[in-house]
Amino acid sequence: MTYRPDAAVSTLRTPEASSWEPVAGIASILERRRSRPRGRLYAAVRWGGAAVFAGVFLLLLVTLFHQAWAALAHMGLSILWRGWNPAKAQFGAGVFIVGTLLTTVVALVIAVPVGLGTATFLAGLAPRWVAAPCTVLVEFLAAIPSIVVGLWGLIVLTPLFARHVEPFLKEVPLLGALFHGQPLGASILLASVVLAIMVLPTIVALSRVAMSGVAMADREAGLALAATRWQVARKVVIPGARRGIRAAVTLAMGRAFGEAIAVAMVIGNNTALPHSLLSPGATLGSAIVNSFSEANPGSLEKSGVVALVIVLLAISVLVNAGGQLLLRVREEGPPPRGPVDGAVEAIAGTVGPAS
Amino acid sequence: MTDSSAPSTSPGDKTATLTATLAEEAGHGDGAAGLLGSDATPAVTLQGVAVSFGDHVAVRNTTLSLATNRVTALVGPSGCGKTSILRAVNRLHDHTGGTVSGTIRLGELDVYAPGTSPELVRSKVGMVFQRPNPFPTMSIFDNVVAGLRFNGVRSKALLAEAGEAALRHAALWDIVKDRLRDPAVRLSGGQQQRLCIARALAVEPEVLLMDEPCSALDPVATGKIEALITELAQHVTVVLVTHNMFQAARVSDDTAVFLLGEDRVGELVEVGPTGEVFGSPRDERTRAYVTGHIG
Amino acid sequence: MSDLPFDVPVTAGAGAGVRVGAGTLAGLTRRDAVRAAACAHLDRRRRLGRLATVMCVGALALSLLPLVALVVYVVSRGLPALSGGFLVHTPTPEGIPGNGIGNAVVGTLIIVALAMAMAVPVGLAAALFVVERPGRLSGALRLAADVLTGTPSIAIGVFAYLTFVLAFGYSGLAGSFALAVLMLPIMLRADEEAMSTVPDELWEAGLALGSPRARVVRSVVLRSALPGIVTGNLLAMARAIGETAPLIFTIFGSQFFVFRPTAPMAALPLTIYTNATEPYADAQRTAWGTALVLMVLVVLLSVAARAVAAYLHRKAR
Repeated sequence: MTYRPDAAVSTLRTPEASSWEPVAGIASILERRRSRPRGRLYAAVRWGGAAVFAGVFLLLLVTLFHQAWAALAHMGLSILWRGWNPAKAQFGAGVFIVGTLLTTVVALVIAVPVGLGTATFLAGLAPRWVAAPCTVLVEFLAAIPSIVVGLWGLIVLTPLFARHVEPFLKEVPLLGALFHGQPLGASILLASVVLAIMVLPTIVALSRVAMSGVAMADREAGLALAATRWQVARKVVIPGARRGIRAAVTLAMGRAFGEAIAVAMVIGNNTALPHSLLSPGATLGSAIVNSFSEANPGSLEKSGVVALVIVLLAISVLVNAGGQLLLRVREEGPPPRGPVDGAVEAIAGTVGPAS
Repeated sequence: MTDSSAPSTSPGDKTATLTATLAEEAGHGDGAAGLLGSDATPAVTLQGVAVSFGDHVAVRNTTLSLATNRVTALVGPSGCGKTSILRAVNRLHDHTGGTVSGTIRLGELDVYAPGTSPELVRSKVGMVFQRPNPFPTMSIFDNVVAGLRFNGVRSKALLAEAGEAALRHAALWDIVKDRLRDPAVRLSGGQQQRLCIARALAVEPEVLLMDEPCSALDPVATGKIEALITELAQHVTVVLVTHNMFQAARVSDDTAVFLLGEDRVGELVEVGPTGEVFGSPRDERTRAYVTGHIG
Repeated sequence: MSDLPFDVPVTAGAGAGVRVGAGTLAGLTRRDAVRAAACAHLDRRRRLGRLATVMCVGALALSLLPLVALVVYVVSRGLPALSGGFLVHTPTPEGIPGNGIGNAVVGTLIIVALAMAMAVPVGLAAALFVVERPGRLSGALRLAADVLTGTPSIAIGVFAYLTFVLAFGYSGLAGSFALAVLMLPIMLRADEEAMSTVPDELWEAGLALGSPRARVVRSVVLRSALPGIVTGNLLAMARAIGETAPLIFTIFGSQFFVFRPTAPMAALPLTIYTNATEPYADAQRTAWGTALVLMVLVVLLSVAARAVAAYLHRKAR
């Protein structure tokens, strides 16, 4: 059976015809495609997304400020140092700020050395068969919801601290002075420990990534000079990872500031100024959790609580944004190895309970 | 790989000229004493050394003696195991996961004996890497004395003196003496490499391993470092891995040729004074390599 | 001050070079001084290195200790609570059998699904904006995302209350909105990172073929960035599921199965919170059981997120 090419194709096959003549029919399809305003829908989607995002962000700021305005106008700048006494129309955040700073500082004092030591081990001193599973395990700790950590802190740690840990700490020679007063369990100390637990995975994850990013060449240079692995870690790797470590600590600090639920469950909730690490206290977050529902809608007290939100927002945003900026500007560090790693790293900068 | 200063026309001519040039260059080196015939005990001896990574053998059964205070070049196409052998000498494979079999002796010291600590070996053997790698967070001075500090030297006087001496040996002192506190990364590539050489020298090693130290540098910097190498050999034993036959011919006293065996495993094919290896190689494969027919 | 074990008169070596072997009669050369120091310190350095390693191992143990203790505790106290229909029944008053958190499970699923429906498209669209039109606006969006990421979730919960609840009353939708606001900046960041690792050549190749932008994005860039986008979004979801603060002021909770998002609903984290503070035995048991369920859910989701990403990554090759 002979093959009979149809007309269009035989035009092409004819030697006299120009070989560049486009196949009939295609040209008109392409022409139609080009003129269709497809691009416009896409641009609209993009702009829409950006607009919604920006809109939500602005709405957040506006709403909070609007609601807090009454209390802010009432207190003025003294909100930063006055105490909290709704009965006397005192809506000062002073005590809470002290509590927030105290718990965060103690949490970091615990978490930073432990976290850096762990990261150093995982990034260089550990044999490979240990490093990989342990890294996964520590990241697992980051995924545990803060309410679960709070529950565990409340039911397990509180009696433990009241009966064993706190009495023990009172006996410690020099530091014992920090721990005077009744060991009640629920205290600034316990809240700090709980915060340290929650903040640890952030420090470990980000520091480890930063340390692994230090070039192999630099590490080998150190080894070739007869440095021990520890010396290489201390003098080459950690200085080389400075930026990432700084970001890690900053983000950990921001995380600790913003934690409200777990802290509220273990801190004892006392609006007086704490006189020792064993006293119950309050942070901005815990105060908001406890006072918000009590205040009547539309009242000055409600506005006062929202003012607390503003103060908390101001502090945490400043600290967190700084940390995020440190993460973004990666001049010496290596770029993420691929799309997945980039996403995981981005999440690592944000993952972790913060309720 | 080709030296642009060798004019030639036909392939046959080219081969002949190449060989002649190499031999002539090599003649400048102090090849007369011969390897094993030198009067000093060899600085490094390798016996039956093989390096493998997992199941893959990179280089096998290398037996080699490196004479004291001479420059020995390890040449050959890439992938033949020259760098693996080099890194075996200062036990860097401990770090990268390679397995080393056979014996390596540093004078009297058995490098891989169970009781020998890698730090001890590395304090006697210095290394300069392919790409200059000064510590990015340290100043020029801190870089030079980094090895000394690692090794426990803390006396400021000794550090300053050793640092200056090392920088002079590396022909860098006059350039950096007024900016010792500047970050090391501000130097040019060639200067950084000389800084790395100074850093390695400061620890007073017996042997200096150089892994293609000029491959990341421009020709001018390369020339300066080659001049340095020849001078350094008076004080340390130099082992130089290089791709560049002409560099080997210019700079080394002895040459060891590594080629790929049939089964894609690197092996030592021939070793001898540079003049002989390039001028009158004994092994057929060496001849093929130095005349440019393989590699 | 010298830390050599013996006194070494160091000969002035400036410019003189290293002397090989033979020293002066009066003392040792610098070479010998350095070599001696290296030898003398070797043992001390190695011991210090070993000690440091031990301490770092200790740090690792301290890091893992709370994790292990927590998981063990949650499992041991939560498992007994999971008996018979715990996951399908609704709560009963204290002491009465048949207690369950079924409504909280359903509530969480609905609330999170709605939150994802809100956040995922907006995050993607905004990320496309940031990646494709670098400029002041994109920079501002990035800054906003950084600020929003750092916002404590309690603030977001209060915000959702002040907008949704004051207007429409307590509802699951208000909770979804709060979670969506929480997830949005994380998703934006992850999407943006995933897309920006797509090499420019891919963008250009697609555009050079005259293809409209949307098609380039869809067929080329998104496909390449998909593993990162999926991982990022799933991980954000895993995080949102466990959040309590956005919910305590918004969904109010309920004792019944609620399927209408505009009504108050129950959710797992809220159940834990309300039960934890009650002193009754049943309430405590419920709290532990719910905690176990929540933890398992979050872990499974995180693992699934990475597994999906790995699969997609492999498929893309």
